[in-house]
Amino acid sequence: MSKTLIRAALSAASLALLPATALAQVHEQPPIGEPVAFELPQTRNFTLENGLEVTFIPFGLAPTVDISLQVRAGNIDDGSQTWLADLTAAMMEEGAGGLSKEELARSIASMGGSINVGVGTHTTGLSTNVLSQYGPDAVALLASVVTAPNLDERDFDRVRANLVRDVDVSRAQPGSIATEAYRRLMYGADHPYGNTLPTEDQLRSYTMEDVRSFYAGHFGAGRSRLYVAGRFDEAAMEAAIRDAFGAWTAGEPDNVYPAVASVSSARVMLIDRPGAPQTTLRLGFPIAGLGSPDEANITVMNALLGGSFTSRLTRNLREDKGYTYSPGSGATWMLDGGLWTFNADVTAADTAAALRETFFEIERMQTETPAHDEAQGIRNWLAGIFILQNASTGGLIGQVSTRDLFGLPQDYLDQYVPHILAVSDEAISQTARRYLPLERMTLVLVGDLATIREEVLALPQLADAEIIEPGAE
Amino acid sequence: MRNLSAVVAGIGALALAACQPADTPDEATATSETPAALSTDFTVDVSYHRLDNGLRVVLSEDNSVPTATVAVYYGVGFRNEPRGRTGFAHLFEHLMFQGSRNLPHGAFDGLIYGNGGVNNGSTRYDFTNYYEVVPSNALQAVLWAEADRMAYPDLDEGQLDNQREVVRNEVFVNVINQPYGGWIWIDLPMAANENWHNAHNFYGDLTDLDAASLEDAQAFFDQFYAPNNAVIVVAGNIDKGETLGWIEEFFGHIEPGEALPEIDVSEPRQEEEKFAVREDALANQPALAVGYHMPPRGTPEYYAMILIDQLLVQGDDSRLTQAVVNEEGYASGVFGGINLLGNAFNYNGPMLWTVGLIHDSEFTVSEVMTTIDATIEDIRTRPVTEADLERARTKLLSDFYGTVDTATRFGLVDLLASFALFDDDPSRINRITDGFQDVTPELVMATAQEYLRPTNRTVLEVRLADDDAAPADAE
Repeated sequence: MSKTLIRAALSAASLALLPATALAQVHEQPPIGEPVAFELPQTRNFTLENGLEVTFIPFGLAPTVDISLQVRAGNIDDGSQTWLADLTAAMMEEGAGGLSKEELARSIASMGGSINVGVGTHTTGLSTNVLSQYGPDAVALLASVVTAPNLDERDFDRVRANLVRDVDVSRAQPGSIATEAYRRLMYGADHPYGNTLPTEDQLRSYTMEDVRSFYAGHFGAGRSRLYVAGRFDEAAMEAAIRDAFGAWTAGEPDNVYPAVASVSSARVMLIDRPGAPQTTLRLGFPIAGLGSPDEANITVMNALLGGSFTSRLTRNLREDKGYTYSPGSGATWMLDGGLWTFNADVTAADTAAALRETFFEIERMQTETPAHDEAQGIRNWLAGIFILQNASTGGLIGQVSTRDLFGLPQDYLDQYVPHILAVSDEAISQTARRYLPLERMTLVLVGDLATIREEVLALPQLADAEIIEPGAE
Repeated sequence: MRNLSAVVAGIGALALAACQPADTPDEATATSETPAALSTDFTVDVSYHRLDNGLRVVLSEDNSVPTATVAVYYGVGFRNEPRGRTGFAHLFEHLMFQGSRNLPHGAFDGLIYGNGGVNNGSTRYDFTNYYEVVPSNALQAVLWAEADRMAYPDLDEGQLDNQREVVRNEVFVNVINQPYGGWIWIDLPMAANENWHNAHNFYGDLTDLDAASLEDAQAFFDQFYAPNNAVIVVAGNIDKGETLGWIEEFFGHIEPGEALPEIDVSEPRQEEEKFAVREDALANQPALAVGYHMPPRGTPEYYAMILIDQLLVQGDDSRLTQAVVNEEGYASGVFGGINLLGNAFNYNGPMLWTVGLIHDSEFTVSEVMTTIDATIEDIRTRPVTEADLERARTKLLSDFYGTVDTATRFGLVDLLASFALFDDDPSRINRITDGFQDVTPELVMATAQEYLRPTNRTVLEVRLADDDAAPADAE
């Protein structure tokens, strides 16, 4: 701190002495200063008698509070009824505790928020953000939505029709088409991970009874965690939470999920979208999961290969070749391992060339240890954006709840940056060799097959792949 | 937008925002007393300066997180681009990342990312912005880098060709290869506006993008990218005196540009309802967008319209959500707002208030419009209650907090830059609620009478390509 003050004083003094005409362009880059320490906010945990776990995260400048309840009831619990969790969540938004949907919406809006019920792969999340002084009232409303939803038969047809419409709209988007096919290819039709969208017939077969049964089987204090982040009165919030959630039943124990099948060969799916000016592609491989010894290695490898704007795939495919606007790769973490996926929408005529460069960058990373400066830049980047990932109430809830959902150690976030910085240059190449075997790639291309098929299938890396074309002879 | 980033959620997507008065919200439904220990004060630190070359400087200190956010806003946007060069303002935005005198291609991004930051840029109606957030120890170098490209960007034929292809792919992925691509944020304003500056395709006709030359880029840069047409905002973990010294040192030598050419961006008063149709070969469900011309920015009616937006379309409690989604079941949701590419504050010219929805084929446009019309007519002819207005103000206040208190501070610097660029007064951010205090139910009704006239609107239908049975009416 004192150092900063001295520098400020010096700079102000030199400025005062400098005549305006002497200003000239500075050609040398100024030095980067010593990093300023970043500490995660202190959190406080407590557990209600029914098993509900609560985490308080005091943070932020504005007088608002984020309240988020995470229930372990996600699409993984759909079984063969894809999106039954979504239908249940949508029905929960239709009113609770005797309040109609409109009354509920007005009540929470008068506190500055709305209550959203959203479904993810592993959880259903109920969340709201309100002005700080209304935190305890918002807790009561949110509790009523999760513990006493109306689940009124009269709303059912309309709500289900909304989902049918939403799925239909999704299926018109090349990105959704590609992701649906990619996940199906990767995980198969028998695992919930392999079913991202239901068919219309499937959705129309679901009944109010299915929704009630899903709700009863998957919602309860024992499967839930409540996060409160922002500026709030801790005593008042704790009292409100005990009052609103204390009588909630523990619910059914967590489910046991089917194991994920392994991938043993290369598979390529070509989906025709006649006339499409771009090809939407997904290329991926199974990876080790969060908390595994390779997690940090995978994170650094991904950032260097395709997970950052300065990554090799972005520099090559976009900044050098101009094949695409938004290439990018990332890890999707599952309870059982995860996926590394590269996404891009490339000019149709350049599809094969873009794949050639993608394979080239993967093979180059596998065979050559990256230069130290390049690798250090990426480790620095991950360390820096860790601050951004934890510098908002929503970000903090996301980070802490992910740690909890995946059963990671309490000090996981404190150790994150040291683990990233400890990944060696050699480990980046080793990790690319271990997890990105092109001979076991899963690749989906959605585009104008008449334009792209021949050139793509001539790529040597696809020589032994199983080629799948839905709808073709 | 120069690039999409999934790394830090929300980057580049400045939330539709707004704000409101400081008094307390609706007591009828919210019952908690504010505990004495819980302060609800919130003031943004603002200091404002102007260098001799005209560069406006806004500094805002907040040491809660050890990062610094830098944003440079140039007063040039879609409305300024030359005829025959649609999409040029955005293409030029891409060129500003391609290198400068002391930072060869790639070095700028390397500096930002290699030190743990992220950056981006975007082009809007009335500005083009460049912004980054970095750990605060890298601030001095980042200011130097922004000055380098303000002074001497490296405009190069090869980079122009490369970014032309990147932008072509950007238009494909966001518009041409997507169902509904650009319908409500490009097609609707094109149909609703009369003045070319507001009514052209600002993403760019592909032929115009192909025609853009290096000479165009140099002329555009010389005209618009001068310090006297720019604002720099630095917010976060900074020492204001030191930061101002660095800005003076790095930017002070840059020569001011000539006065900007005057352009008339005004729109005539609309006197007849307009209709437009988009045939969409990629969509599975029809859609409908309605756009009304806004009252001029800063007028009492403008503040009333921002509250009307809250009453009609923002949030689950909004009247159109209630009527169209909950009661009739025409759509899964209704969305819209003021300035869909930003918010109610970061533009400076004619603007639309917009409502949109995707509805089932089984419902006709007439049916949906009848419901929308009934909701709109109600607010034109029946005074809203004080409780409704108060709830709208509370939602605005909450949105405002959500905009200015984020990990990247991009929402904060956007408001500071906009108020400096358009109003020469960034401290407006701390009086942002004033205009809403004075809005009465009478003013809401009078504003709705004039601005929610059917003859002040444009209705855009998205029709399925093979949908020959769709009725053409909306009358």
